[in-house]
Amino acid sequence: MTAYFAAAVAGLAAGGAYALLGVCAVFTYRLVAVVNFVGAAIGAAGAFAFAMLAEQGLPLWLSALAGIIVGAAVGAAVGAIMTHWFAESPASTKAAVAVALLVGLAAVGLRITGGQHPHDFPSLIRGSAFRLAGVEVTTASVATLVLALVFTLAANLFLNRSHTGLQLRALSERPVAAELIGIPVHGLSLWVWGVGGAATAFALILIAPQRAPNFLALSLLVVPALAAALIGFFQNFWAALIGGIAMGVVEGLASVIPGLGEYRSAVPFLVILAVLLWSQRGARWDDAR
Amino acid sequence: MSIKTAFLLASGLGATIWSGSAFAAGPTCPDGPIKLGAISTITGPADFSEVPKAAKAMYDAVNGAGGINGCKIDYEIADDKADPQVAAQAARDFIDNKNVVAMSGGASLLECAVNAPTYKRANVSSVHGLGVDPVCFNSPNISPVNVGPYTLTTAMGLFATNTLKAKNLCAMFIIIGGTQEAYKAGIARWEQLTGQKAKLVDLTVPITGDYTPFLIKARDAGCDAVISNAIEPGVVAWVKTADAQKITGVNWLFLSPGYTVEVAKTLADSKQPIYVGTEWEPYTEQNSPANKDWIAAMNSAKRPLTAFSQGGYLSAQAMLDVIKSIDGPVTRDSVNKALLAMKPVSYPLAGSPYVFGGGATHGPMQATKVMKLANGAWTVQTKDWVVVPTK
Repeated sequence: MTAYFAAAVAGLAAGGAYALLGVCAVFTYRLVAVVNFVGAAIGAAGAFAFAMLAEQGLPLWLSALAGIIVGAAVGAAVGAIMTHWFAESPASTKAAVAVALLVGLAAVGLRITGGQHPHDFPSLIRGSAFRLAGVEVTTASVATLVLALVFTLAANLFLNRSHTGLQLRALSERPVAAELIGIPVHGLSLWVWGVGGAATAFALILIAPQRAPNFLALSLLVVPALAAALIGFFQNFWAALIGGIAMGVVEGLASVIPGLGEYRSAVPFLVILAVLLWSQRGARWDDAR
Repeated sequence: MSIKTAFLLASGLGATIWSGSAFAAGPTCPDGPIKLGAISTITGPADFSEVPKAAKAMYDAVNGAGGINGCKIDYEIADDKADPQVAAQAARDFIDNKNVVAMSGGASLLECAVNAPTYKRANVSSVHGLGVDPVCFNSPNISPVNVGPYTLTTAMGLFATNTLKAKNLCAMFIIIGGTQEAYKAGIARWEQLTGQKAKLVDLTVPITGDYTPFLIKARDAGCDAVISNAIEPGVVAWVKTADAQKITGVNWLFLSPGYTVEVAKTLADSKQPIYVGTEWEPYTEQNSPANKDWIAAMNSAKRPLTAFSQGGYLSAQAMLDVIKSIDGPVTRDSVNKALLAMKPVSYPLAGSPYVFGGGATHGPMQATKVMKLANGAWTVQTKDWVVVPTK
């Protein structure tokens, strides 16, 4: 029993990362209506900029700031492609473009960052916060969880209470109508992509030190992140937050349950499948088709 | 001297010259340059190009000095992009269109698994520079010059048991493709040699992801030494997670992919006992006499001094020695014959003599040197080779 509890606690670090990136994915989807497959890759670009600058001897906070700016810039660049050419495309096209951008960005990123050769990702926040069930819960994991919570609260407040939030919701749901009533569609979209990129970059700067420091590996964190976002149907920040954490915990548990460990990496896909089935539970075949 | 005697002497001399040319002419190349090929993963998830590039540097040097017995070597490298179809296509191109006499210096994520049947059908032999997938060590047509991850698993286990006096050895492996059986066999071989049982064998470690649950599992199982086949970024994540979990008293043993300068630099702050097994004489030991010739060759070709370039160098050297032993035209058949008949050759870079021979499988290299990480650099932990005994 203790072994299971320890494994569950050990999964918290991953869970916090999934939750944070999941919340970022919901943010992008709700504001610019793109299933953001390229989100983690944008963040990885920022995180690698951080590590490479820190390696050059730049102070940590300055490197982190530069990393976040790089994340925002890459995010805005991806946003520019999306808004310039695909603003009125259907969601499936945008998702496909995002996947293509993920592949491209990951390939370029791997080359620039030296492939498998690791970079030294310094920990922005060091040490462990507390020990639970024999597992050190690091300050960075706690910070990730807290940041996910802050993002959730901030995004909810921003979307539901602010004027810009309202405009952005209009933008994602009816881009043409929003443009007709005078909302600066392009500018706002770029801004959303930039903020999303900055947030993901910051998230990955926190997460990366305990992960395999490889561009592709960090970019592929998008899979569990999207699974977490799907738990909230790409609408509900809270569900994405809790779903992401739960997924990390389940992954942790899977590593100690005999016979289940091999299927550990399938957890996000099982979650996606389960959510899709659940969401269709009331639908009759004709309606769902 | 009568005319008759002179004639006899002259004919005798002529016969000697004639027979000399027939029996010690060395290799010839009536059909133009000797064609060799290498298939390597260059673009894609990994870049092994340094292996064939080092081999090419060797062949270029031989060509620059006039070739072997006047025969130039035409060496070509193909990129398989870690794509089985591309790898298969490259092999067919080398065999059918370019008519290579053999393959040399190959290093790929999947080439052996894809092309071993093709090599067998076409009767082409390959002196691989770096065998990665299990088929590289399981085919009658391929004999790599490296130890490989599976034998290295056994060797690191022996080092843990014999030198570190580990009592509870654990193995935690990332399994990709068809490597599971080969790793299991590596562990079983260690168990057979030592009479011990592995405390914990976990073959479900993900290639990337958070390693915390696995490290906790290893610690709670009471492992005092853990062998892992994580590659560079994985090694870094593994050790950093061990540090974050404040785990002490566990020796971490990694295989050759962990043995890079970047890993050492990145983990400079870690106090964890970290060991890696090498494929050849440790490449970071640049003053070692065993590395002298390789370093001179790479420096004159302006190639970097990496473990990969050792593999390419060694594979080219073995192939050159085999070609030099041929009398008459160098063809696919004569190369195969020479490989089959070759006696084990010792090279300073390797702990075991290299041989091809006629076995159904090949794994001539059975020795490693163990390096320990200390203050951001690798130091030799075993002056002598750790040799896996054949039993």
